[in-house]
Amino acid sequence: MGGFLPWLMDPKRRGAMLVTPAIVLLFVMNIFPLMWSFGLSFFHYKASSVKPPRFAGLYYYEKVLSDPVVWERFQTTATIVSLSVLTQMVIGFGLALLFAKKFPLRREILMLVLTPMMLSFVAVGVFFKLFYEPTFGVVSYLYRSISGEAMALLATKWGAIAGIVIADAWMWSPFVMLLVLAGLVSVPDYLYEAAEVDRATPWERFKAVTFPYIKGLLLLALLFRTIETFKLFDLVYIITAGGPGASTESIAVYVYRMAFQFFKTSQSSALSYILLFVVIVLTNLYLYFVNRREREA
Amino acid sequence: MSFLKVSGLVKHFDEVVAVDGLDLDVEKGEFFALLGPSASGKTTSFRTICGIETPDAGTIELDGADRTHATVRERGIAMVFQTFALYPHLTIRENLAFPLREQRMDRKDIEIRIGEVAELLKLTHTLERKPGTASGGEQQRIAIGRALIRRPELLLLDEPLTNLDAKLRHDTRAEFKRIHRERGITIVFATPDELEALTMGQRIGVLREGRMVQVGTPDELYEAPDNDYVAGMVGSPQMNLLAATRKGSDTVPSVALPFGEFGGGAWQGALARFPVGEALTFGIRPHEIMPVAASSDFDGPTLEAEVHLTEPLGDVVILDLLAGDARLKMVLPEEQAMAYSVGDRLTCGFDLATTHVFAKETGTAIR
Repeated sequence: MGGFLPWLMDPKRRGAMLVTPAIVLLFVMNIFPLMWSFGLSFFHYKASSVKPPRFAGLYYYEKVLSDPVVWERFQTTATIVSLSVLTQMVIGFGLALLFAKKFPLRREILMLVLTPMMLSFVAVGVFFKLFYEPTFGVVSYLYRSISGEAMALLATKWGAIAGIVIADAWMWSPFVMLLVLAGLVSVPDYLYEAAEVDRATPWERFKAVTFPYIKGLLLLALLFRTIETFKLFDLVYIITAGGPGASTESIAVYVYRMAFQFFKTSQSSALSYILLFVVIVLTNLYLYFVNRREREA
Repeated sequence: MSFLKVSGLVKHFDEVVAVDGLDLDVEKGEFFALLGPSASGKTTSFRTICGIETPDAGTIELDGADRTHATVRERGIAMVFQTFALYPHLTIRENLAFPLREQRMDRKDIEIRIGEVAELLKLTHTLERKPGTASGGEQQRIAIGRALIRRPELLLLDEPLTNLDAKLRHDTRAEFKRIHRERGITIVFATPDELEALTMGQRIGVLREGRMVQVGTPDELYEAPDNDYVAGMVGSPQMNLLAATRKGSDTVPSVALPFGEFGGGAWQGALARFPVGEALTFGIRPHEIMPVAASSDFDGPTLEAEVHLTEPLGDVVILDLLAGDARLKMVLPEEQAMAYSVGDRLTCGFDLATTHVFAKETGTAIR
């Protein structure tokens, strides 16, 4: 007796032993379902039926790519992505410029500004859904105190898009700020002083001294936020559930509906893999710029 | 008529007083050296003069006009930073052209100016590269070029040679003199190196803890230092500074040193004002001490010493001597120094007219 534990903890197999649970978990929860669903996208299959899968080849890929609804959802997603990312970039950039200066309570206020980023999507979604609620929501309340009428922000297409964009920007502008701020504080003071001695205008100073230091980080922020917003599901699902009608139904929400409301398992798998492909392309672009930045530094 | 006049300039950072009542007077077209060790306030003085820092007290006049509260732009002073402060993301050409942007010059005129400056500083072949790829000497010349290109009337150089190797330093000294002669601009040059100050400055201001302790031509500083600080700072090897005491009578004072008592220098008259027993510092330059052969008819003051160390410097040798408790240096031509080795005893003589006496307490020269 007494041989097993010491045998197990032998330095030769200790390392492997310690990572095994994580690998098993990863395999069972991520890799296997991923492979399985990839396989299903080539078969006729409905998760809600008992019929065995039948081989379908590229039928569902063809079907998805020629489906006008899919392209509509892509357009909706593109609208949300561009508006939201633009808003985040502008606000994040502005905040970074603000926090690059020294002022009283800077650290404390910075911490507060960063909190939205640390909240869960579901919590943020619920907050904003309640804020936008026409009868007792704070937005409607404020609107009523001015105009005397209730406001149902989420009742119109553009109102609903604005609602999502505001929530997403509130949550992720601090992320852009953090990246840009890192660039701003890396600019050596003596360069600003030299530019001052060279009698550069503030705009020229920004162009020649500041911008080159944050250019790379801005690009990273842009790509990172584009990838993330492209996959946006939780906020949309909670705040508008894709409505009114299907006007805010992002591609991620559409996939969800297809898979779990209509149980078009094969079709939703195929669409998911198309999405995955888009994200992989964007991610590689991101990694390419990260590497280039490292090489430059 | 002075071109740059700084009076009573004070600048402190929290508790640290960087500049403490600085007075500076630079003539138009002058090459003025500001000599001081690190942390003596050179950089802060420059930064305050060109307007990056706001002074806590004092005034700055440029060409007769009060510019104490003018912006950096309004003053229009060019400055070369110790760190060079080149814009890393612009090419060398763009770096040079940067100060011209705001002048709304013709593209063609800008090109001509760049060509001129590049020619002057031998940068023509590097123009399309980024400053990061340039050598230390090139970076320094770019920094100078950037300062010169808008033809400033006043140029501040903050330790421009400190980051260069010895050979480049030597060449660049000549370069600065040439630029000064050819362009006729007023240059103020900060350096911790007395050799740089002596060889380049038409006048030198010696800075100590944010105050000017003496201003004069290199000769004036060398021949007649106002205090023991300047005496120790100017000249290489350093002047021998020995602890001494005032002796003699009330009217005929003398100086007591570990190796003898002497009277008769230029300081003798002034020394009479000090009471007998006053602590003094006695200064004599290593070049002014020479060996005296027993047979010679030398009738000046002499001292007996033992050779403690020798430092050969090529054509001259520095001999470290021990005379009583005192340690002093003597410089001899190589062929003369060959006669002595460590442990030898010798008799040295000097001329009292070349010696200096300072009050120990205040450091002020007595003369």
